[in-house]
Amino acid sequence: MKSTKKKSNLFLTIMGDEKRQKITIPLFAILLSLIAGAILMLSLGKNPIEGYLSLLKGCGLMMKKNYAGGKGMLTDFMSFLDIWTPMIFAALAVAVAYKAGLFNIGVSGQMLLAGFVASLTVGYSDLPAVAAKPLTIIIGMIVGALAGSLIRLLKYKFNINEVVTAIMLNYIFQYIISFFILTYYVHPITRQSNVVSDASRLTLQNVQIGNMKSVIPLGFILAIVAVFALSYFINRTRVGFELKAVGANKKGAIYAGINANKSIMIAMALSGALAGLAGVTYYMGYVASIQPKVLISTGFDAVAVCLLGNSNPIGIVASSFLVTIISKGSIYLNSSLGLPKEIASLITGLLLLFTACDVYIKYRLKKAKDHLEYEEKEAQRYIEKYGEQKKEGEQ
Amino acid sequence: MSEYIVEMRHVTKRFPGIVANDDVSLGIKKGEIFALLGENGAGKSTLMSILFGMYEPDEGEVYVRGKKVETFSPNHATELNIGMVHQHFKLVSNYTITENIILGMEPQKKKFGFLPVVDIKNTNKKIAELSKKFGLEVDPTQKIENINVSMQQRVEILKMLYREAEILIFDEPTAVLTPQEIEFLLEIIREMRRNGKTIILITHKLEEIKQVADRCAIMNRGKLIEICDVAETSTKKMAELMVGREVSFTQEKTPCKPGEVMLKVENLVVKNADGFPVVNGVSFNIRSGEIFAIAGVAGNGQVEIADAIAGLAPAAGGKVILDGQDITNSPVKARNKMGIAYIPEDRQTWGLILDFTLSENLLLRRYDIAPYCVNGVLHREHFTEKSEELIEHFDIRSGQGGQTIVRSMSGGNQQKAIIAREIDLDTPFVIFVQPTRGLDIGAIERIHSQIIAERDKGKAILLVSLELDEIMNLADTIGVIYNGQLLKIAPAETMTSNEVGQYMMGVKE
Repeated sequence: MKSTKKKSNLFLTIMGDEKRQKITIPLFAILLSLIAGAILMLSLGKNPIEGYLSLLKGCGLMMKKNYAGGKGMLTDFMSFLDIWTPMIFAALAVAVAYKAGLFNIGVSGQMLLAGFVASLTVGYSDLPAVAAKPLTIIIGMIVGALAGSLIRLLKYKFNINEVVTAIMLNYIFQYIISFFILTYYVHPITRQSNVVSDASRLTLQNVQIGNMKSVIPLGFILAIVAVFALSYFINRTRVGFELKAVGANKKGAIYAGINANKSIMIAMALSGALAGLAGVTYYMGYVASIQPKVLISTGFDAVAVCLLGNSNPIGIVASSFLVTIISKGSIYLNSSLGLPKEIASLITGLLLLFTACDVYIKYRLKKAKDHLEYEEKEAQRYIEKYGEQKKEGEQ
Repeated sequence: MSEYIVEMRHVTKRFPGIVANDDVSLGIKKGEIFALLGENGAGKSTLMSILFGMYEPDEGEVYVRGKKVETFSPNHATELNIGMVHQHFKLVSNYTITENIILGMEPQKKKFGFLPVVDIKNTNKKIAELSKKFGLEVDPTQKIENINVSMQQRVEILKMLYREAEILIFDEPTAVLTPQEIEFLLEIIREMRRNGKTIILITHKLEEIKQVADRCAIMNRGKLIEICDVAETSTKKMAELMVGREVSFTQEKTPCKPGEVMLKVENLVVKNADGFPVVNGVSFNIRSGEIFAIAGVAGNGQVEIADAIAGLAPAAGGKVILDGQDITNSPVKARNKMGIAYIPEDRQTWGLILDFTLSENLLLRRYDIAPYCVNGVLHREHFTEKSEELIEHFDIRSGQGGQTIVRSMSGGNQQKAIIAREIDLDTPFVIFVQPTRGLDIGAIERIHSQIIAERDKGKAILLVSLELDEIMNLADTIGVIYNGQLLKIAPAETMTSNEVGQYMMGVKE
């Protein structure tokens, strides 16, 4: 009994007060999932430290032993930034909806729709780069915003649950778009949609840097701008304040005179717009075509990333960085150690699992704290009582 | 001793800042209907929660059938054949009546001789028989979500009967029922007595006690005042005992100097979610410099009046006129700007955003105006400035000042924060609903003097309270509400608290 108490005290000291817990609990979740991942690798007969290092090497964050001609750490890193970008946008999309008390599970579908519409309108046109790139971004945002608003509209008009709508729309977008691609835009050899023009792509291809050929993901700059813009929007603007208030306590917000329906609509449109940006930076940046009948997992991983980052834009940069290292690095993990690529999804899954335990961890911490306080109080009471008895005795 | 089935000796129960039961001793005889009468917060429910095992008394003993109760838990109480119908029902809404009743003790049978399944068919029959025996008239196959409140209550009663409860506790059973349903319930209670059950009725409605109860214990501020024989005691006498002759303290108050009419409410009708008019044709005026208090037992429509004036609940009929302008259909924000401040009853659900900081909550009414917000951008430095001023002036205590998350603050300080924010708006009309609920004496006194200070500044004040003392202390004009209608509006000095109490019970016409 005594030893367990002491242990929880130590845990409590490390995790800190409620403010510090905002950071320590996600870190604790990460630690747990890395340990679980290590056990997994050990059970497959591989050295987990080597495994984790090869994840870093695969992302251009550490030097590999040897590189193919024209490749280097920089090319790996640029390619890492390229795939990190849509993840940041997607997680921001989840976060902004979450702030308003909504769960946008339809990010993948919104990404696909935005990527497809932008491909059709800009990607297959002859527009020069100066016009095509901004247009891609704008169209991506508008289409995403409309798709996000649609979810809210269905809720508002017909009271259909947002989660159900979002999941159903994922399927609807996926199959309708597959139909159009396979009927009109399919490439005869790759069986994917036709490749979009380089002018419209948000990632510059084959740029010569020194003796290496690398990609330059322009979308990444946009993503970092979006992180700070969103952070400012949520923390410093009136509309952001209202949106947060609605998410934290809808009744309280209504009492304060906030138009809750309007706030929620804004949140969903904004969430959709960010999902749209994720879509164009993926389908017209990292890749240049759409694989029919496939819904990429970015939008779903983004939920884990958002939760891990405490739905805070800056936190999301850190958590998406981590998750992207795991998923992107898994390719090198596979080729260097011969471990299956799926291990990355497993670790990400574990991460989501442990992150989702935050309420439980908080609960345990609170219980440990209450227990401590209770014991202190009891001790106090005992002293008082004992003291009183002594006094009575004296009388 | 053995004539009592339940005996409580010197029971004391304390909660932080309040003694809910103070040395209460009473005995309940087998086969009687025993009523517990008292105002809100008199300690009736706490006392019975102890009997039902939800709380353990700090001091004193409880005996059931002459045996001392050692363990306090609802499960143990059930073993002792004690059942309780709570004010808020505990039912699974998408289960049938039978399923709800057997929940936790499902009768099993073996299908095909080996497959264990819940025996619903026979249980349905059993429950239908039980229901018939006590005149409860329920169809066991119906789902809870499809039946009305009165029927749900009967399901709760059946649940106890099915568990062979001999001692049945009803906590404010009539609060949610219509007059006809009340009649029906009282008949059921009588039927149960005929079947040898012991019934404990917690209520503050004298009428019902007079109708069914044999004996009645009257409680006030945690103390047992008297146990009287209902047949030999007049309702008037009971009301007197319940309100208590001694008034704890009176607020220093100068005479009211009323000015122009600030708020005019005409034939206001407010409907609840079921479309039932909880406020039915209420009219009154409040003048500047006047405290208009609505007295009444909880759930008679007083909160809905306040919500409708503040714009949180739509008015189904009638008019609300503030300073000559019709605001019946104005949005909340417009009403605030025109001059309504509102201290709501439920401070945690409506009045605050618990996960926001104190500073943000203090600015919840003003965050969108200059200097706190210019061109859509918030200026946090002004938030801090203003909130520090309010924290200082209203003595709001918290761990980290303006940056404290409101959830972590005490109820009293949360209420102070709301009052600070609303009073600081300096509107010509302020609504206070239950402003001192759950607060300690010191805080109550402070809030009372703040309310009077606001009146003296020439503001019109609407006070809704369930505490008769509070109303008698503060009001210039009293309106008594009963069943959604104002039975009586009169200057405070022309009414005694007993009279108000009788109007509250609907006794006096």
